[in-house]
Amino acid sequence: MRLHKKDDPKHLIQEVLEKPSNRRSFLKGVSIAAAAGSAALTAGCIPDAEGTGLEEARLRWQEFFKKNYRLMSQEEKEQTVRRLERLASIQDQAQLQIGSEPPLEKVLFGYAFNISRCEGFMECVTACVKENNLDRKSNTQYIRIFEMEPGQLDPGTGDGQFYHKVPVDHKFYTGTQCFHCENAPCTKACPTRATWKEPDGIVVVDYDWCIGCRYCQAACPYYGRRFNWGQSEVPKEEVTPKQHYLGNRKRPKGKMEKCTFCIQRTRKGRLPACVEACPTGSRVFGNLLDPDSEIRYVLKHKKVFRMREELGTDPKFWYFID
Amino acid sequence: MSAAQKNLRTFLVDAIRWNVSGGIGFQIFRLLLFIGMGVGIYAYSFQARYGLAVTGMNDIVSWGFYISNFTFLVGVAAAAVMLILPAYIFHDPDFHRVVIIGEGVAVGALVMCLCFILVDLGGPLQAWHLIPGIGIFNFPSSILAWDVLVLNGYLLLNALVPAYILYCHYRGKTADERKYRPFVFLSIFWAFSIHMVTAFLYQGLPARPFWNNPLMGPRFLASAFAAGPALIALILAVIHNSSSYKIERTVFNKLRLIIVVSAIINLIMLFSEIFKEFYFPTHHSSSAIYLFFGMDGHNSLVPWIWSSVGVNFLATLVLAFNPGKNNPRVLLPACGFLFVAIWMEKGIGLIVPGLIPSPLGEVVDYLPTWVELGVTLGILSLGITVVSWLIRTALIIEQDYAQQLQQERLP
Amino acid sequence: MNRDTIFQLNRGALLPTLLAALLFSNAGLLSAGESSVIERVKARKEPFADPLSSQLGPVLEKTVWAKEGYQGGAFRVLARKQAIARFPCSSCHGAKPVLVRQAFELTHGNVILNHGQGERALSCSDCHTPEKPQLLEDNRARKIDFDHSYQLCGQCHFRQKRDWLGGAHGKRVSRWAGERVVYSCASCHDPHSPRFEQRFPATYSVPLD
Repeated sequence: MRLHKKDDPKHLIQEVLEKPSNRRSFLKGVSIAAAAGSAALTAGCIPDAEGTGLEEARLRWQEFFKKNYRLMSQEEKEQTVRRLERLASIQDQAQLQIGSEPPLEKVLFGYAFNISRCEGFMECVTACVKENNLDRKSNTQYIRIFEMEPGQLDPGTGDGQFYHKVPVDHKFYTGTQCFHCENAPCTKACPTRATWKEPDGIVVVDYDWCIGCRYCQAACPYYGRRFNWGQSEVPKEEVTPKQHYLGNRKRPKGKMEKCTFCIQRTRKGRLPACVEACPTGSRVFGNLLDPDSEIRYVLKHKKVFRMREELGTDPKFWYFID
Repeated sequence: MSAAQKNLRTFLVDAIRWNVSGGIGFQIFRLLLFIGMGVGIYAYSFQARYGLAVTGMNDIVSWGFYISNFTFLVGVAAAAVMLILPAYIFHDPDFHRVVIIGEGVAVGALVMCLCFILVDLGGPLQAWHLIPGIGIFNFPSSILAWDVLVLNGYLLLNALVPAYILYCHYRGKTADERKYRPFVFLSIFWAFSIHMVTAFLYQGLPARPFWNNPLMGPRFLASAFAAGPALIALILAVIHNSSSYKIERTVFNKLRLIIVVSAIINLIMLFSEIFKEFYFPTHHSSSAIYLFFGMDGHNSLVPWIWSSVGVNFLATLVLAFNPGKNNPRVLLPACGFLFVAIWMEKGIGLIVPGLIPSPLGEVVDYLPTWVELGVTLGILSLGITVVSWLIRTALIIEQDYAQQLQQERLP
Repeated sequence: MNRDTIFQLNRGALLPTLLAALLFSNAGLLSAGESSVIERVKARKEPFADPLSSQLGPVLEKTVWAKEGYQGGAFRVLARKQAIARFPCSSCHGAKPVLVRQAFELTHGNVILNHGQGERALSCSDCHTPEKPQLLEDNRARKIDFDHSYQLCGQCHFRQKRDWLGGAHGKRVSRWAGERVVYSCASCHDPHSPRFEQRFPATYSVPLD
């Protein structure tokens, strides 16, 4: 990576030009250049010779060579989230609180969706986009809502792109998202174990360990995964600052992402954003291992089904009717 | 230069020297390849800067032109076994002279395969996460991990065995068959495995009924053993016409037999698949319906697949009935058409419809962008460069060695 | 000899071993149709000792203890009275009678009653009573506090109420853990017009092509 190529518009490190200009002064010392060059190699960006530039280079270097999140000790997890917070404050002047909360004991998250209650207001979708800092440029959405003709149940037969007053008489609405399969095909497919099922049942992605091969996306029978085709863009004032390493933190380009049951909320006892936003109470979330939980009530007292149960993926997402 | 002075260093130096010299035609050919690679690097610079957003892929069609070419080229690489098997196992004298060319093609195809995988990655700088020890290798659970393993293993086998034989011949010695024979056997087994594992990559996904089909692996082999030897026949014809290394007629006749048998098996399997998809279409047939007839007004692949099937069928007929009585002007174009037809069907015709419609039933069309075409051109140029370098080096060494043997036999 | 060994290693031992490793590596082979998450869930009968309950503070909204329990015991429900404009009713409905004309102009004119259809359409007096306007009244003349309106709603909507108690209807307030706090019927449904109005969705999905 040549430093003087900085002004070459065709060069891949051009993105640095879009950054504030105080970081564009040239490097002086050879040692600084070496450190910065290696950091530029890892992140495609050139830091400057000022103190923060050097610190940024060091942080990026450490970030580049860190381990898979699952292999880190809790201490190392703390260190990496501190680094990410610091990098966010240097690069985007954003004050974030990135968490690394571990799964809770005797908790297995489950989700139920009431297809006789959902009326297609799509407030779950906007809440999800906001909470999870989803890319506004490509309009990434984890949740899909389908307007269904009566007599058919497969979302493929419904309309996933409706925009008119809802609910329409004699139609019903159904939603899909990541189903957090117990026997998830995506985690089996990943060649680097960058995606896995946490002990509390949430299927997560280590965005920094993912190599972006998209085999998991091909393996998912539910269209539950989204890829960062370009660098995601979220207006600074709309960023949700409370984040989790495995959740809604900024995703690098070229990495896979997906619904995490709002891990940054649910590991602290809060409801996922979609459940909190749903105006009709169609969404039920809770601990499957708590016999008194709402989700257990649904499983016990309602007629439930799961999507494509025949595939043996064992999703922890049930549909039910009143 | 006497044999004593020849060492590994002079071997490499000579290989480079032979490959930068050559007639005007060869120089133009080389220049074109360099331009191709330049275009590839230029196109890739956009991808490196803006991410895969500059390709035609999206969350529904998440694999496109790159993976299509990768899949097809694995077949070309595996097809070298169709020369290795008769040459080393049955000691066929005709094939013994051309096996080195087959191995060169395999190495070139594998280099291209690995490049296609690399350019398809969203995070190529994180590719080291795949290296066991410093990264994590999800083995044996992930078929992609298996594929990385078998592809690199096959590349090693196909590079090292010929390199050893050539190096011995370069130094005027006979290659010790006891030393390389085990690796030849291994590479035969390995050739089947690279293509089966690549088929399993798709076959193992219940999410994609179009791929989740037990015929995928065998059909991959059949199409590969038709397309690969067809390409090798064309390359042999080029060598025969443009160099002093003459290829026997019988080699072409034997290759024709291999191609015809494989192509017919491939067509039978294709027919079997089409029957299954269309006799009683289920919702698992929707990808095939999209591919062959279009769906919801999206039909960009319909002309593509029908031309592929038609050309495939005609080329197979020509090769099977041999209307020109071994006339190369009939057979060689037929080989070319067969190769292109299988590339069309097994590349884009296999990968793209497998992802359409999406699991939620949404239909989109996929078209590669200029970035994908440019990068592909670059990788193909690189592959052709590798093949031409390897073959040129090999043929010069083999010719010198043959001369030396003749001289030794003379009193 | 050498060759034979390699053949045997390849075909005889290596391949089956690797295949077995592949198939049984993460029990993928055995999963379909056999023991599923639901077995594990059903087997779990002992109550969940919530480790978060001590960390989570009370919800911000005003709540009251529900007069009925759910499968986990007592729970809280969002209070209603503070959300009603001009509550308490006694500020107008005192000892002095209020003229109907006056009331209609002053306070309740915005109420459009659209609860039940045809012969089963409700009128004001089905839930309200002139004697005790600060309380609701069901059809057995039971007086019900506004904070516990679910008791009134449940006289007709007993299925919904049963689901609401259990957790299949309505939802908890902001958290799944800790003390159970749920929305009241009137938090989501306008009691005078309980069906949701037709409106445009909050957003839409963008086609990919």
